[in-house]
Amino acid sequence: MVLPEGREILLHSELGVLGYGPVVTDPDEADPFVTIVGTLPVASPPGIAFMSHDESFAMIRGGYLDVAVLGGMQIDRDGNLANTQLAGKPAGNLGGAPDLAYGAKRTVVLMYHTTSSGEPKILDRCTLPLTAPRCVDRVVTDVAVMDIRHGEIILREVAPGWTPRAVQAITAARLSIPGDVPEIRL
Amino acid sequence: MSPWNHPSYLVAAVARRGATDLIAVSTAMGRGVARSQEQSRWLPEDRRPTDYFDIGLLAELGRIRKGITSFPVGARHSLVYPFEERLARGEVEVEVIGQGSLAERIRSARAGIAAFYTPVGPGTAVADGKEVRYFRGVPHVLETALHADFALVRAQRADRRGNLWFRGARTFNETMAGAATVTIAEVDEIVPLGELGPDQIHVPGVYVQRVVERPRAPATDWRALR
Repeated sequence: MVLPEGREILLHSELGVLGYGPVVTDPDEADPFVTIVGTLPVASPPGIAFMSHDESFAMIRGGYLDVAVLGGMQIDRDGNLANTQLAGKPAGNLGGAPDLAYGAKRTVVLMYHTTSSGEPKILDRCTLPLTAPRCVDRVVTDVAVMDIRHGEIILREVAPGWTPRAVQAITAARLSIPGDVPEIRL
Repeated sequence: MSPWNHPSYLVAAVARRGATDLIAVSTAMGRGVARSQEQSRWLPEDRRPTDYFDIGLLAELGRIRKGITSFPVGARHSLVYPFEERLARGEVEVEVIGQGSLAERIRSARAGIAAFYTPVGPGTAVADGKEVRYFRGVPHVLETALHADFALVRAQRADRRGNLWFRGARTFNETMAGAATVTIAEVDEIVPLGELGPDQIHVPGVYVQRVVERPRAPATDWRALR
């Protein structure tokens, strides 16, 4: 994750951490009690706070998160998100995603534009079980950036080497394509 | 769920006692003995804790009848842990619920709240068969308190009154304490009464009925006695 210089961003981990720092890669520097997703040790900068699971989700559900970045298996033009059920598995994982998708002021989905076998993941209507309804505001894929508003998927940027037409060709929902769709600049 | 915030010795004790037909409530259903080392893969292999026995052990042994959890399966096709194997064979049941509603159901049980309405769930399978009611135009699903017979939690320090102190994220350890008929806390250190000051105590002892201190020398086998 790249954080811009000079900006303070508070990172929240659903396990009950607010204000954690970068991942610590040196095992001698790492504090095993300060991890995210249970396995990644992170730094404890000044101001970090710990809490219980229910407090963490009170914070999420109560609307205190500005942005949630989630993975996706499918999203559709109504902003429905499916990222739960893997094909062939006997059940789906929900994790904290339904609460994050509901509670965050903005939900950004970060995912590949198509599946590994080339199937589109951006559809008119999700076919997989939903994780959360009507929640996705922005979708960032390996080839494009899109906003979702009022039943419309609006193409905002394309990756270097991609055109709006090429992106539409691998998208199973009609995109709204404004006059100017710039290339993504990192 | 990690070796540092998990009540491994209590899980191992449940396994040794032979308790079976269990309904297990947990964030995830664990990885089992063979793969539990993955949880501390950020450490070199020779420094990973050997005494991490997660709930996957109970699934492996066939002691679980039903899981109530947010992560019943592995996150990738290639990751299949014991609970998922049994689920695929129809040997266990599962109730899948999001972390937020799971946490609030458990908290409610401790707090004497019979049920609550949450805006998370409507429009998804989680709300199937449950009452949905509108508040300020927003659909909310009715979730009920989730009380257990036993809560197994892990903290770093306790006193003899059951007051608990945690390092790091307090997770479901704090949430579950008191949400069961009997809460048992596994801790690294039991300290004299008074050493945990009033502004340090995270869980008041009234929520905890038993405290167990972990052994100094880590076990390498869940079958070994303390």
